[in-house]
Amino acid sequence: MRRQAPPAVLTRIALAAWCVAAACGQEAPGSGTDGSGTDGSRAPAGSAAGSARASDQARPGDSAGPPDSIRVVDAAGREWVLSRPARRVVSLVPSASASLHAMGAEWVLVGRTDFDTDAWAAGLPSVGGGIEPNLEAIAALEPDVVVRFAGPQDPRTPARLDELGIPHVAVRPDRIVDIYTTNAVLGRVTGHEGEADSLNATIRAGLRKLTGATRGLRPVRVAFVLGGSPPWVAGPGTYIDEVITLVGGVNVFADLDALYAAVSPEELRTRRIDVVIVSRRGAYDTSLTPGARVEEVGDALELPGPGVVEAARRVAELLHGDLPDADASG
Amino acid sequence: MLRMDGVVVRYPGAAAAALDRVSMEVPSGAFYAVLGPNGSGKSTLMRTLLGLRPPDAGRTLIDERPTGAWARRELAKAVGAVPQAESVAFPLTAGELVSMGRYPHLGPLAGQSGSDRSAVERALEACDVAELADRDVTTLSGGEFQRVRIARALAQEPRALVLDEPTASLDIRHEMAILELLRASADEGITVLLITHGLDMAARFADRMLLLSHGTVAAEGAPTEVVRADTLASVYGWPLAVTHDPETGAPRVVPLRSGEG
Amino acid sequence: MSRGVLGPALAVLLVLSVLAGVRFGSVSIPTADLLDVLTGGGDAVDRDIVLRLRLPRVLLGVLVGGGLAIAGATFQALLRNPLAEPYILGISGGASVGAVLVLALGWMAAGSWTLPLAAFGGALLAVALVFRVATATGHAMDVRVLLLAGVVVAAFFSACVAFILSVSPARTVQSAVLWIMGSLAAASWQSVLLTAAYTLPAATLLVGLARPLNLMSIGEETAYYLGADVEGVKRLSLTVAALITASGVAVAGVIGFVGLVVPHAVRLMVGSDHRVLLPLSFLAGAAFLTLADLAARLALAPAEIPIGVITAFVGVPFFLVLLRRSVSAP
Repeated sequence: MRRQAPPAVLTRIALAAWCVAAACGQEAPGSGTDGSGTDGSRAPAGSAAGSARASDQARPGDSAGPPDSIRVVDAAGREWVLSRPARRVVSLVPSASASLHAMGAEWVLVGRTDFDTDAWAAGLPSVGGGIEPNLEAIAALEPDVVVRFAGPQDPRTPARLDELGIPHVAVRPDRIVDIYTTNAVLGRVTGHEGEADSLNATIRAGLRKLTGATRGLRPVRVAFVLGGSPPWVAGPGTYIDEVITLVGGVNVFADLDALYAAVSPEELRTRRIDVVIVSRRGAYDTSLTPGARVEEVGDALELPGPGVVEAARRVAELLHGDLPDADASG
Repeated sequence: MLRMDGVVVRYPGAAAAALDRVSMEVPSGAFYAVLGPNGSGKSTLMRTLLGLRPPDAGRTLIDERPTGAWARRELAKAVGAVPQAESVAFPLTAGELVSMGRYPHLGPLAGQSGSDRSAVERALEACDVAELADRDVTTLSGGEFQRVRIARALAQEPRALVLDEPTASLDIRHEMAILELLRASADEGITVLLITHGLDMAARFADRMLLLSHGTVAAEGAPTEVVRADTLASVYGWPLAVTHDPETGAPRVVPLRSGEG
Repeated sequence: MSRGVLGPALAVLLVLSVLAGVRFGSVSIPTADLLDVLTGGGDAVDRDIVLRLRLPRVLLGVLVGGGLAIAGATFQALLRNPLAEPYILGISGGASVGAVLVLALGWMAAGSWTLPLAAFGGALLAVALVFRVATATGHAMDVRVLLLAGVVVAAFFSACVAFILSVSPARTVQSAVLWIMGSLAAASWQSVLLTAAYTLPAATLLVGLARPLNLMSIGEETAYYLGADVEGVKRLSLTVAALITASGVAVAGVIGFVGLVVPHAVRLMVGSDHRVLLPLSFLAGAAFLTLADLAARLALAPAEIPIGVITAFVGVPFFLVLLRRSVSAP
């Protein structure tokens, strides 16, 4: 018989390819926002676009512009200088829209995406998808700022917005800590820093309460299945993993090497799982885990946002049943 | 044995008919040559006669039965046909290619019997390709490939052979050998229909000839009747002289250059 | 390698592959426990894994791998083209459109059979379209037109898939891409029996057409003169090969390279007589896919690599080695 390449070599090649692909999908988390103090005074309206052009090159430290201008470093590491708070915002990130709504600033929104399905946003014009949106529609709305996803999924939009002279603040809704960061950045950009801070405080308090309420309960072994065949599950370091852990659950797939992975159905059958959480019931073959409860959460855990406390409470109730004194209101 | 009565074949979209009321008869055991300029309908004649392209008018008969009335396998056992060109897409040995000539005699899964194998061997010998039997056909020269294909037709052990320009890429020795083989087959009673460009060779070997021009019959009969300077010159559109070759006793065609004749 | 040896060698390889596929997997089951399960005992988890997950999956690999290989060999003979492979009539494109539609519209909630059914329907649609175009002249089916029509139809369906994905959320895109890359993970006894009901009679029928296929592979005119029913054989074998491919794609996604590389590899070793080439291609394809699935399950366990990746990584170098050997040998 002919000699074939030994499997170990193939494994290493495949592993390397996999790691390269995974690495390409991740960037280093953006640096935090410029959280120094509240800029109370509103500088006279200069062209926000003009000052944005002046700050197109990312510069550390102090930059050109009047001393009371707003400086923000976004999740992509880029610094923006606005001469006054943004009054016309197009949000390409549904959870950012939700953040603005939660801090009472949704009135600054002039545009959303097709995926902003909240009722309060229905009256706003849509600019298409969050990735590769319609640039003409954005330009027509004459925004002061566009809020977009940080990350490599859409390389064209930032460049085109630069050409149009429109500032674009990037947010990265990956984990719970990003919720606070995003709220702070959006608060700063729109002149609602006080509201942003209090929103963050409310969220923190709400999550602390949940953690406290579930601390003494028996840890529940959980798998979060996104669907597919083989089943695609959430691993360590994901938002889903954080929420589960926060409310007294244990992610049985915390040993994965990737954030998400398609795992062999055998794994689901063997690992001791108490509850399987799925987005949609039809996407999962429940016979794979006969001993486990299967609970459906819809899109609640899709992206981190201001609704995290409700989402976490929902998960907590799915795992433990009704909680005696967990209260979402701050 | 092979007959066409008033056959008309018209390809869709063509201005003129490929074959226009062509009638011909090849007696059993005869060596019959079909000639004509390019585009005169020679290849169409073969396809129509054997049923690949049924005529739009007229009829074709093989052994006094209409072509359409023959079962495909029966026809393949009776007539061995070698079309003008053929290309093999996948590795195949010459021996395997020749063995396909026995397929009409075999069922779907039956293996080859001793008589099948010896028919194949005889065919390989007759065409002088026996030592090429294990060679991949894509490694053969044009002439060798041609002889292998003729061997396949012989392996069918047919009552008639129809060949379309079989000696086109053969050298003198192999061309003569094939023509001698065909002549010998005719002498043994196998009907031979040869479509060819070679006027001289046809005149030497064939019993009767058919000359096609633009899909119609320009001349038909014994070689001396068909090979005439005036007929050929008008059909081929070139001045020719016809001489008589004392060595062979057959007519010889000499195309003239400007200034000659 | 002579024909006489290759057949039994492949049969042995296939049996070993099946045994390996059952013995090994993401979850480790010792041989003793495995034998327990196979003789009626064993604990519930092991029984589920071996009898409900692994065994159907391995058998499906045998059927799909063998089916794709024999279909590929058939297409290569009929189209007289070494680059022909099972998806050449647009089957993969049509199946992908069906599957992606189901994923995008969320019809999977209706039942796990909706996805394979839609994929199969899409595949048949593509084949019907291609056949229609190729026989439009009214007479014989021109295989060159068939080839071109297949390429064009495949491109059209590809565009349809791209369109559907462009207006779908990220989750759908991910599921769609994974489905298209192929996986045997959805195997169940039901899908195995259904696939066997198609594939085994169809493969037997194709082997029965081996002699006419030998003739067809030299040329249609010559095949006719040697007594083949050219039109009948063409239609029957194309239809049967297309159905085998469609049923394989419906249940396992688009697994590439098996239908292209395996027939060539077998042909390089035993020649082009389809009485030998077809059955040996089936055995070789079955063994190849079974082993590829094993690698897909083991290489990055607990995660699974899409099987199309393995077939490409392994199939291509293996074939190149064989090709070099055949070129250098006289």
